[in-house]
Amino acid sequence: MSDTSSRTATVTGRHAADATPVASARALTKVYGSGDAAVHALAGVDVDFTRGEFTAIMGPSGSGKSTLMHCMAALDTPTSGTVVVDGVDVSTLKDAALTRLRRDRIGFVFQSFNLVPTLSAAENITLPLDIAGRKADVGWYDTVVDILGLGPRLGHRPNQLSGGQQQRVAAARALIGRPAIVFADEPTGNLDSRSSAEVLGFLRRSVDEFGQSIVMVTHEPSAAAYADRVVFCADGRLVDEMRRPTAERVLDRMKTLGDL
Amino acid sequence: MWKVTLAGVRGHLVRLLLTCLAVTLGTAFVAGSFVLTDSLDRTFSAIFSTAESTDAVVRLPQDDDDEAAGPELPGLEIGLAEDIEGLDGVDRAVPQLTGSALLQGADGTAVRSGGAPSQGFAWDPDDPAVRLLDGRGVEAADEVVVEETTLERSGLAVGDETVVIVNGTPSDVTIVGEATNDLPTAGATVVFVEAALAREQFAPTGVVQSILVTGVEGSTQEEVVATVAPLVPDGAEVITGQQQADETQRTLQEALGFVTTFLLVFAGVALFVGAFIIFNTFTMLVAQRTRELALLRAVGASRGQVVRSVLAEAVLVGLAGAAAGLGLGVGLAAALQALVASLFGLQLDGLPVQPRTVVATFVVGVVVTAVAAVLPARRASATAPVAAMRDDQALPSTTVRTRAAAGLGLAAGGAAAMALVLTDRITENALPVLGTGVAAVFLGIAIASPAVSKPVVWLLTAPLARTAVGRLAQRNALRNPRRTAATASALMVGVALVGAVSVLSSSATASVADIVENELEGELVVSDGGPPTIPVGVADQVARVDGVAAVLALPFTPAELDGDDALAMTVDPGTLPDLVTLTALEGSLDELGEGVWLSESAAEEVGADVGDSVLVQVGTGESADREVLAVHEDSQIIGSDVLVSADVYAAGTADLQSRDGSGGVQYVVVDVADGSDVAEVRERVTDVAAQYLTLSVLDAGEFTGEQTAQINTVLGLLYALLGLSLVIATLGVVNTLALSVVERTREIGLLRAIGLTRPQLRRTMTIESVATTVFGALLGVTLGLAFGVALQQELVDDGLEVLSVPWPTVVVVLVGSAVVGVLAAVLPAWRATRIDVLRAITTD
Repeated sequence: MSDTSSRTATVTGRHAADATPVASARALTKVYGSGDAAVHALAGVDVDFTRGEFTAIMGPSGSGKSTLMHCMAALDTPTSGTVVVDGVDVSTLKDAALTRLRRDRIGFVFQSFNLVPTLSAAENITLPLDIAGRKADVGWYDTVVDILGLGPRLGHRPNQLSGGQQQRVAAARALIGRPAIVFADEPTGNLDSRSSAEVLGFLRRSVDEFGQSIVMVTHEPSAAAYADRVVFCADGRLVDEMRRPTAERVLDRMKTLGDL
Repeated sequence: MWKVTLAGVRGHLVRLLLTCLAVTLGTAFVAGSFVLTDSLDRTFSAIFSTAESTDAVVRLPQDDDDEAAGPELPGLEIGLAEDIEGLDGVDRAVPQLTGSALLQGADGTAVRSGGAPSQGFAWDPDDPAVRLLDGRGVEAADEVVVEETTLERSGLAVGDETVVIVNGTPSDVTIVGEATNDLPTAGATVVFVEAALAREQFAPTGVVQSILVTGVEGSTQEEVVATVAPLVPDGAEVITGQQQADETQRTLQEALGFVTTFLLVFAGVALFVGAFIIFNTFTMLVAQRTRELALLRAVGASRGQVVRSVLAEAVLVGLAGAAAGLGLGVGLAAALQALVASLFGLQLDGLPVQPRTVVATFVVGVVVTAVAAVLPARRASATAPVAAMRDDQALPSTTVRTRAAAGLGLAAGGAAAMALVLTDRITENALPVLGTGVAAVFLGIAIASPAVSKPVVWLLTAPLARTAVGRLAQRNALRNPRRTAATASALMVGVALVGAVSVLSSSATASVADIVENELEGELVVSDGGPPTIPVGVADQVARVDGVAAVLALPFTPAELDGDDALAMTVDPGTLPDLVTLTALEGSLDELGEGVWLSESAAEEVGADVGDSVLVQVGTGESADREVLAVHEDSQIIGSDVLVSADVYAAGTADLQSRDGSGGVQYVVVDVADGSDVAEVRERVTDVAAQYLTLSVLDAGEFTGEQTAQINTVLGLLYALLGLSLVIATLGVVNTLALSVVERTREIGLLRAIGLTRPQLRRTMTIESVATTVFGALLGVTLGLAFGVALQQELVDDGLEVLSVPWPTVVVVLVGSAVVGVLAAVLPAWRATRIDVLRAITTD
């Protein structure tokens, strides 16, 4: 199993990444339907996500950015091509192995409905570990809870938490197992700017301070600005990428994306 | 709105089908009971309508009200028939020479089925009702003619030699002919014997119970009655053949009426349980469609329209369920006919479906479904469009408490109604009141149960809650206490009834064992598996067997005690202590002579003490003042009110020998002489008993087993029928879980995304299901034991003296309910694991 505890939690700096990518795709296609009605959501994508880096995937609606993330995160099966996550060839795995892969090596933050309504915040945070039958690292748990300021809310049920608090709990859950990679699908899509800043700040911090690898799908340039690198999708292909993005540069690039 | 209704039905087809199934099972009982009743009617109508050859019947008066009353006349002299035949306008007058006649079949055992009678008739070549099919008529005492269906069942053929036991006397005979009276035998066996033999066996004292009269061509039954009337002696009566037929039919229908009542009770139970499920399903369907219904309201549908659209859906479900129920009911009736045939030996023909059956089935199905759906429909219409967006409606705890109070109030009321019936304070309409009381208790507990469901389900799942899977299951089971409780309540009803019945059966078995152990002193018992009763002659034969010290046959006869009806028996005070324990309360049980011993209850009834004199008439004997020599404890083996000496008994019953095989006994207790080997004596007694084909020789343990076997047969039937209510309840669990899966699609998707494996998901659902079913079983067992114990306490005086709680059954029920929970979860869990993770988490 991918025991991430060997990786030191003290790696710092924006570019202290390993040479090998934590996740990569080759010639990835995803086709819905067939014949004339076929829709190519992904039309041959090659991409590497660097370990210890925060990558944002951007693109207009229908560009294939969400499909790319779902295929990379073992939530969707590609039509062709290969996906390797943390050294594991995802395309060869059956449901049970895929489930274990998601459980042990991947963290998730979705746009909404991230939490199990019957469980408390604390129980939601440790859920992936509980499902795996593993104990949470107490020090790590305290650190995560502390950074996210969730201490007073741990006993609350999701419906007693604000949207921002819910997303912070989701972020804590994504990180608690020290996964090889965290996939965040529009994590701030439903949040106000202040809550968005809190969540994105935490993701940034987890990369900087703990060397976490993160891939985030977003359509907000301001969110993409938190990333180390932005890749741009259009019509099922990767069309460009940008390092050290700022909101303005991303916005400019997005405006011209449609002209390609 | 009609379109919306149809769309609703289509959209939730599978769930509605499950609900339909609940309606189907309930209405099947209604349809089945009507079809069975009608087939009973038809069978007996056929028997009696064809009995037209008899115009008038001269007979002893039948007093339906107290059958124990001794008749004024011992019987009708056979000679009277000849006198009647001599009258102008009378064609034939035949004394009814009939009694028991057992035929030994090809396999060496008696030809009989269940409790159907084995009848012997005198062969009368002139009887127009009997037609010879093969061979010839009876001409000698060692010849018999056998009825067509009887011969078929015996495996014998005309010309075969076999044994016939006429009124308890075995003799070797040859079958010389096959005949039919063109009537359904309904399972009875019929053998025609020589007239002289019939007279000797069936009318040893020269009297019969009735004389059948046929008038000359063209005369009406009334004319024949008028012709015969002057010859009818005091104490006898003459009625038309039709009256006789009607009367017999009525008696039989009353006797079999319990089958119908029984079935209707089960129909009630099944529908009651079904109503829970229908209610549950519609509540959930409506909850799921809150948005849709709120939208309908928002675009201008009135509350009434929303209610009507949900109700219309319920009516469709009710109609479909009832239609299937009708079909299933006919099948159920067919199965029950087979059961009736094997239990009572009664062959019913046809499965008549009358308009009334169809109407009743549909009305019941539709009304129950609609009533169960009214509340959810009203609730749906009351939902404000804004509230429709809310996902999780937590129940305020005050509501739970109010409901608990209301529910417990209702349950208490129901319990009070039950208590009033059981303590005989309500005697009018006792059964409906009792049923309503039981239903009120169930409903009350069901309403109150959400309050207890939380702690109980929490406790049940606590040991598992340390794992993520267990915790998820626990939270889900606790999520909607009202739904969990309603689902569990459906199971509760069936389990409670099973529990109550099992307490009664266990207590009955224990009581019988207790009686045998405490009262039976003799080593062996000669017993007949069922009716007909054992001829007294057997006792005399057994008494002569080497090594037998004494026997107790306990023949009984109606008697009068100070003018009240009573039951008289005879015992020999000398040998009694070696055979049966009888405990004297007052006086001594050393001798009887011309005196009597009274049972405690009889003594109380007439207010007599030892030394008092009471007016006693035994059978048709003289009334005489007799001294009470002893008052004994009521005995279960000797069920008499008054015990007299053998001489007194014989004097009173001398004229009654021919009455309906009277003198027959249920069993003969045998005392093996000191120093004799019980096993050897048993063999010799068995040799004697063997000639009677149906008798077996048992020791005390086997005797207990035989007595309780009958209880267990009836209970087996009860369990089977109650089992159906459990099936319905299980469907309810499946339904609830299936709906939960739909409701929790996104949550399940999320769990799967973050790593819950399919087996883990299955386990989660299974635990939730088991928690629900075990909770229902716990409620049911608690309630059932309470019912059972209450009933047993009430029946202590009727022989159910020992309370026995069948703990193994309780354990089996609880374990069984867990198994049911596992099974109920299979399909919903499978569906849950098939949910497309990506779609579940990406769709809003």
